[in-house]
Amino acid sequence: MKKRITLKDIGKLEGQMIESQKFDLSALPAPLDSLDDEPGIKELTASQKAKFDISLDGVSAIGLVKPQTREEEDEYVKKFLSGLKKLLSKENNWTFLQPLMLSLENCAKCQNCSDACPIYTESGRQEIYRPTYRAEVLRRIIRKYLGKEGKLLSKFTGSDIDLNYKTIARLAELSYRCTLCRRCAQSCPIGIDNGLITHELRKLFSQEMGIAPKELHQLGTVQQLKVGSSTGTSPKALASFIDFIEGELEELTGKSIKIPVDKEGADILLLHNAGEFISWPENIEAFALVFNAAGIDWTLSSSLVAYDAVNYGVWYDDIQLARIAARHAQAARDLKVKRMMVGECGHAHKAMLVVSDRVLTGDLNVPRESAIPLLEDIVLNDRIKLDPGKNNFPVTLHDPCNLVRLSGIVEPQRRIIRKICTDFREMEPHGVDNYCCGGGSGFAIMDNANFADWRDVVAGRMKLKQILGAFKDVMSPEVHKYVCAPCSNCKGMIRDLLSRYELTEKHGIHYGGLVDLIANAMVDVKGQFINWEAT
Amino acid sequence: MWLLLLTYACLLVFIAGITWRTYKYASLPVHLRWELYPVAHEVGKPYGGSYLEEEDWWHRPRKINLLGESSVFLREIIFFREYFHSNRRFWSFVYPFHLGLFLLVVWVVTLLTGSILTLNGLSVSATSPDFWLQLIYFLTLVSGVAAFILGIFGTIGLLVKRSLDEDLRNYTAPIDYFNLTGILLIFLTGLIFWIIEDPSFGAARGFIQSLITFKPAAIGPLMIMNIVLSCLFLAYMPFTRMAHYVAKYFTYHRVRWDDEPNKPGGGLEKKLQALLDQPAEWSAPHIQAGQSWSGQVKSNGLPDKAEK
Repeated sequence: MKKRITLKDIGKLEGQMIESQKFDLSALPAPLDSLDDEPGIKELTASQKAKFDISLDGVSAIGLVKPQTREEEDEYVKKFLSGLKKLLSKENNWTFLQPLMLSLENCAKCQNCSDACPIYTESGRQEIYRPTYRAEVLRRIIRKYLGKEGKLLSKFTGSDIDLNYKTIARLAELSYRCTLCRRCAQSCPIGIDNGLITHELRKLFSQEMGIAPKELHQLGTVQQLKVGSSTGTSPKALASFIDFIEGELEELTGKSIKIPVDKEGADILLLHNAGEFISWPENIEAFALVFNAAGIDWTLSSSLVAYDAVNYGVWYDDIQLARIAARHAQAARDLKVKRMMVGECGHAHKAMLVVSDRVLTGDLNVPRESAIPLLEDIVLNDRIKLDPGKNNFPVTLHDPCNLVRLSGIVEPQRRIIRKICTDFREMEPHGVDNYCCGGGSGFAIMDNANFADWRDVVAGRMKLKQILGAFKDVMSPEVHKYVCAPCSNCKGMIRDLLSRYELTEKHGIHYGGLVDLIANAMVDVKGQFINWEAT
Repeated sequence: MWLLLLTYACLLVFIAGITWRTYKYASLPVHLRWELYPVAHEVGKPYGGSYLEEEDWWHRPRKINLLGESSVFLREIIFFREYFHSNRRFWSFVYPFHLGLFLLVVWVVTLLTGSILTLNGLSVSATSPDFWLQLIYFLTLVSGVAAFILGIFGTIGLLVKRSLDEDLRNYTAPIDYFNLTGILLIFLTGLIFWIIEDPSFGAARGFIQSLITFKPAAIGPLMIMNIVLSCLFLAYMPFTRMAHYVAKYFTYHRVRWDDEPNKPGGGLEKKLQALLDQPAEWSAPHIQAGQSWSGQVKSNGLPDKAEK
């Protein structure tokens, strides 16, 4: 029988702790149950193996480069310990110290959270992915290296984990094997939050050691602060996108619809995830169509950072989070708008409305809202003419964790869909009990080495099963089916899942946003707004 | 006399320990919001919705149902609903174990009540002429015996489960077995002294009376053993993870359900501004040395050339 991985193994085992290519993955339902050769997780090339530290599971999310000397390894340990001390200090981590201390000191280790975690269950219950594994490793390191226990006592209390380069490298990777969906926290009777512990580990690595996935840091928050957007879109490029979108709108409606930019004194500053401009411009078009038809007084901003609602800091770095949140709020203040509003971006909801609510003070404390309640008002109060008959195809709704479980915006999107779609079917479970799409906490945009394979095959597996379950009676490719995902990152993840398993081509499953469905039901739009070839 | 002194000393350590633990958590700074829905005090949103579902919520009065919040919290504490729904097998041990501990508290309270009444010349027994005195007697009897039996069942169940179930065993340290064994001994010695030495709990009431009057009472060796174990446990528990009941108040009310918005000019905003003025001394390249949190936010964290 295969030896079970223990907590101590993180600092002891040679080579890889587990091999992701050999996971005993959970079975997929029809029509994928007969999939002979499921596209799996690629093994890295010899040069990638030589370069990246893949000693956790053969996957590299953060692209950690192996140190060459013993001194370099020791430096990792020194920096990790110094970061750990800061993580536990009132000055350096006031932002999350209370929840962190509560979760570090009170876990009963009952493992009630394990079955709530789709990464753990879908991977064939890999011990290292269990929500308590990384948390318990961290607890024991803290007790052993920052506590006052002697050697004997630390054996008694179980604080006997070696802190060495191996432990640190594996913990760094392991902090990116959790989507921070916090289903585990929801299932804990004491209220312990292993998702939070993962978040804090990521912060330690980023804020102290400068270790973070390039897609979140260099190409994410740093690029956003420097160039203006996490997509690399500059203000000049933004103007071109807007020209393009206005052209598309004219083609679609026969009318000239202007997208207001930098309109001073508008009621609403709308912030889109800039990924929409590149990958899903139809979402921007749909917002413009609906808002203009309803007579909403709104604007976009062309200020650096503020034309991108993205705030990846919420996943890994409090200081980057605060920097971006402040610049969003500053743009609203400069334009003298009455309120800021987040479009269809889940993590921007959590970042702008929830987490950074407590870093914006004084002049920057500008009213902040979600666009979804406004869309609900427009649809339910018949402020525009809609024909549900135009949405006469099966629709299911994906609940982005950041929007639902973590911001409490659950019903408005459902009330909209119920009113404008003729065949709405819920996924199970849904609402605040939903499962993450698999792309949460930055995974949707991370693609170092073979990480995207791991993400699609393991992290997205439960969502894939839920989507298939929702449409199980209408799998014919002739029937268009629509997965509504009111979040850019979730859309990206669902796009990749549908593509990996050829579900659009073979079974007619498409995806898109919420406002796209509203635009599709608009009587003023000739034909279909949804382009089934493109989604 | 030594037993009385030990009891008072341990009681004092317990109170000091719990106060210290409560103060430790309560005095930590206000944190960024990290709520988890459903939030129990939301009004009219049983599916887990928040005030963020309302358009223009910023200008609307906030409605909070504190009664509803307390009711959800109490139901969780009394029935262990989360375990009941998600892990029934574990609940079948963990619930009797905790119920045993709750009943132990009830037992001590009824013993104390009975002792005060006895000191006032009233007779607390099965044959008392007064209904209320009889009720105290039977409540003491039932809560004590039920506490011991449920506690023994639950603790043995948890010990067995932790030893045999690999999912739990991997994460269980020697101290966890030690703690559970200590609690088991308290329940066991309690049950044995009830059977052998004190079937009416009259001697137990006598001991409580002696604590009040400070005049030692004659009690049997098994009961002495139970009292010593209970006292030592009481003094030790606040400094261990077993005091998670203190944390539970904070994890629910101060984290999970803390959705208080930061409104301009409010008390919360003032507290936050003070926190933002503290130094943020992290060392990664994108952190500016020697800056406060506010200073970090003003800077974009890029090298000087790219700063603008």
